[in-house]
Amino acid sequence: MATATSSRRLLPALALAGVAALLAAGCGASSGGGTTPTTASHAATGPFAWLKASAPPSGWKIARLPSGKAALAYPPGWRAIESDPGTVSAALMGPHRRIRGYLNATPQGGRETLVNWARFRPAHNHEEGDRAVQTVAAAAGLRFTQGTGSCVIDRYKTISDRYREIACIVRGTHATTVVVGAAEPSAWASLAPDLQRAVSSFST
Amino acid sequence: MRLKIAYMGAIAAAVFAFAAGGIAQASPAGAHTATHHHKKHHKKHKKHHSSIPQHNGGDHDADNNGGPSDGDGNI
Repeated sequence: MATATSSRRLLPALALAGVAALLAAGCGASSGGGTTPTTASHAATGPFAWLKASAPPSGWKIARLPSGKAALAYPPGWRAIESDPGTVSAALMGPHRRIRGYLNATPQGGRETLVNWARFRPAHNHEEGDRAVQTVAAAAGLRFTQGTGSCVIDRYKTISDRYREIACIVRGTHATTVVVGAAEPSAWASLAPDLQRAVSSFST
Repeated sequence: MRLKIAYMGAIAAAVFAFAAGGIAQASPAGAHTATHHHKKHHKKHKKHHSSIPQHNGGDHDADNNGGPSDGDGNI
């Protein structure tokens, strides 16, 4: 009899634990939004499986920040373009001076951090006037050649074009720097491998 | 029976408390949206008076001309 009463008392507690576990699991999945909330550096997986810290491919040019605190490699056929002071950019130009592919390195200059990057970058693009900004994937704690970074893949429209980008903030041994690789959606399939190599070999 | 009702009430209360926790957890995002809206307003205002006009002006870099966005967290 005593056993039966205990079981009856135990059942609601077990039910509560089950409901709590289900709710907790649901919350984790939704709040993540593709983000891996970890601070430890690790090899990338999923949408960032291509990110393998490595030296720049041979034959690529290296653009260095004027401060000397970051080096961005860009492929043959691309050229350095005008950029904000203190930053470097390279592009693959298309017809009518359209930018088909784009690489940029910029020192950390605002409120962007490795922790807020997945929210900050798309929000900042929107603030800059980009429209239809959509996050495709995000991850944190990614391993770079000289440090750790957080990355986001997103897409947006400008006043005259559409772009898909890989944008990472990397905390390295010398500085914390943002590296961006972008391409028109129509060129993404062909340019993504170069953008990914540029990001993978980025050092700061 | 009364015991059963009491247990059901406890379950309902616990589920409600948990859901409320979820809402509370979501509130920073709401707060972020409000802050973000304020920041955006401020930023656009700042841009308006910036020495780097957008859209084909100022420093002529890509993101001022309909090109891709650079990594600048400020401008």
